[in-house]
Amino acid sequence: MLSSTQRFVQTLALCAAVCTGGLAGPAWATPFVPHSDDEVVERLPLRIGTPEQRQQQRAARERLRAQPTQLPLAVQLAREAIARARQLGDPRELGQAEAALAPWWALAEPPPAVRLLRATVRQSQHDFDAALVDLDALLREGSATPLLLQAQAELTRASVLQVRGRWREAAAGCERLGSDRYAALGNTVQLPAQACLAELTGLQGQADRAQATLARLARQAGNDPSAGWLSLVRAELAERRGDDSAQALYRHALQTPQPDVYTLAAYADWLLDRSRNAEVITLLTGREDADALLLRLAIARRRSHDPQADAAIATLAARFDAAALRGDRSHDREQARFELELKDNAAAALLYAQANWAKQKEPADALVLVRAARAAGQAQAAEPVWRLVRDTGLQDARLNAIAASSKGTT
Amino acid sequence: MKRLLHTLALAGLLLPMLAMAHKPSDAYLQLQVEGPHVEQRFDIALRDLDRELALDADDNGQLDWREVRTRWNDIAQLAQKGLALGADGQPCNPEALGTPQLDEHSDGRYAVLTRRWTCPANVHQLDVIYTLFAQTDPTHRGIVRVQHGTQSDTAVLMPATAAHRFEVATGEAPPAGFAGFVLEGMHHILIGTDHILFLLALLLPAVLVRTPARGWKAAPSLRPVLADVLRVVTAFTVAHSITLALAAFDVVNPPSRWVESIIAASVVLAALNNLYPVVREGRWKLTFVFGLVHGFGFASALKDIGLTKTGLALPLFGFNLGVELGQLAIVAIFFAGVWTLRDTRLYRGFGLRAGSAVITVLALGWLIERAFDLKLPLIS
Repeated sequence: MLSSTQRFVQTLALCAAVCTGGLAGPAWATPFVPHSDDEVVERLPLRIGTPEQRQQQRAARERLRAQPTQLPLAVQLAREAIARARQLGDPRELGQAEAALAPWWALAEPPPAVRLLRATVRQSQHDFDAALVDLDALLREGSATPLLLQAQAELTRASVLQVRGRWREAAAGCERLGSDRYAALGNTVQLPAQACLAELTGLQGQADRAQATLARLARQAGNDPSAGWLSLVRAELAERRGDDSAQALYRHALQTPQPDVYTLAAYADWLLDRSRNAEVITLLTGREDADALLLRLAIARRRSHDPQADAAIATLAARFDAAALRGDRSHDREQARFELELKDNAAAALLYAQANWAKQKEPADALVLVRAARAAGQAQAAEPVWRLVRDTGLQDARLNAIAASSKGTT
Repeated sequence: MKRLLHTLALAGLLLPMLAMAHKPSDAYLQLQVEGPHVEQRFDIALRDLDRELALDADDNGQLDWREVRTRWNDIAQLAQKGLALGADGQPCNPEALGTPQLDEHSDGRYAVLTRRWTCPANVHQLDVIYTLFAQTDPTHRGIVRVQHGTQSDTAVLMPATAAHRFEVATGEAPPAGFAGFVLEGMHHILIGTDHILFLLALLLPAVLVRTPARGWKAAPSLRPVLADVLRVVTAFTVAHSITLALAAFDVVNPPSRWVESIIAASVVLAALNNLYPVVREGRWKLTFVFGLVHGFGFASALKDIGLTKTGLALPLFGFNLGVELGQLAIVAIFFAGVWTLRDTRLYRGFGLRAGSAVITVLALGWLIERAFDLKLPLIS
């Protein structure tokens, strides 16, 4: 039986957490002293490069700290940090990029190289409007932006517009990128320009043509570093078309020593949609650092009645709480799935999915909204998605399946 | 240059989902204000410290405790440079650091730096100047909780901003959270069966007097009965308040199994005393002794949840006040009932005996469960 003392202590603990307000318990657990010097107390996150390279990075940071206004060194460090952020999904790296660019960060008109990186960091922090302001300025008629930086700005702008659901504007940018204006930069720009245009036309109802174009580009690319990325774009297109070649393409995109978070998450979703939960567990175990991957891992574990699921769910909840505490609302899509697939709380999931839809309109965002709306018994809440489908001609096998099944039931 | 473009172009296309991909860098700062002192607990992620200080001496991607412990001075220095406190316009002075400790947060282990700050006078406005990682990670945030009495304020601090000012209540008037503790205390006593039964066992015979010749007999007048009830209840209250406080402030900590067992035994004895009276006069003394144990019941369990001594006083007071109010309500209702029934044969002949017997059996069951660490199916 529960003794009254236990009850008292529970009450008091609850009181300490609730009555006084403030932070929840987990952030203030009782600290401890490890038992021995040899006890491993922390596994550092995945690291990139050799010890020597990291040593060099550290030395470069020291040099910049001594003389913070060395523009080329600052730009180099910021670029490296952004590349690591992409691979590891660690927003601390974006902070490092910002720190390297500190002397120029708050300027209204920073040097073009800084401005481009600032836009990239802001885009990654889901501050899309601020990113677009910088990108538009870089591409303004008569701006002194070097051509190469303009090309990068154009491509980044297209991807921001794509996330926002402004696909026609994004496609126009990709077309400009493929125009004579950038011809001097050769295939380095032509290939991403064509791929970006193909992806956008693929989203807007011309999936077959896009598929053919991307296949051709992949053949051209051969073993170029862009091949993995092209495979990812093709895999996502194949998934939308309901084509099983998606699996091989995802696997090809993942054939790198340290696959990036986005690609792993996309392939995990493909597997989850097919209830191949065991493969998701194998794929993502060891990458729990990234919330997006921990989410998918937790879904797979819960579905396979794995006893470790509860711990993963608790960790995710604590991370969402921590993000809420710092006022970060950039993960509404993931939180919607958390509520829907891990907490069985469709009503909460729908609220997050709707908030996310106001900011992002990619197929994955559409899918989350439609699924949450159905689970919550409020199919009409997904109407904005169906409107986008009608307006753009978006074809997505997953959305089509839901639409067909709901027609069957009504 | 060509490779560079690729890296960036691809990064640009892939980045959109990254903002949530990973928990960003947060540090947790807890400041407990008491008079002119501020107790600090500062939790900083080991991975952030490794980036700043290259803690991983053998570069194997893992930190062992030696690598962290031997660099504790550097860690402390970094933390001290990142934090300054002021009270009412005057700087506060940091005192010596507590022992190196770690804690687990949702994204890994954190170094825990504890220390006391002393300000020139009692703190009314606390200024927190937070600059940790201002140079290296502008996305870092310090999540600060300032606690004073039962109240706490939380703020999310950006490293580069100016001082954040917390208003600290002076503590004369009990803050709003106080009422919550009182309610919780009342709730607790109303559901705390063993405490209630102890009281009831003591009160059952209070309305009767034992005569040498004819056993129990209804008490003739109210005044001496009330005085007796008052003595018993006061003894219980005073006793458990004393030990509850001693327990909460970590002065005495008897083992919980013993305490729980003795609580059960106290209920058995109080009920048995009604059936086979041993202690007749001055039952309040017996109540006082056992009341001490009831209060002690909280000792080990309080330690389990890691509540610190500081800042516990007011919640504890509120909680105890609630307990007393709830107790008073029970006593009043019960007393009114038995007072009217006292003259009936049913009560004298049956109520007292049957009630005491039931309480004895139930408490005996608890006693066996608690003393021998068993689970009995019928006692719930």
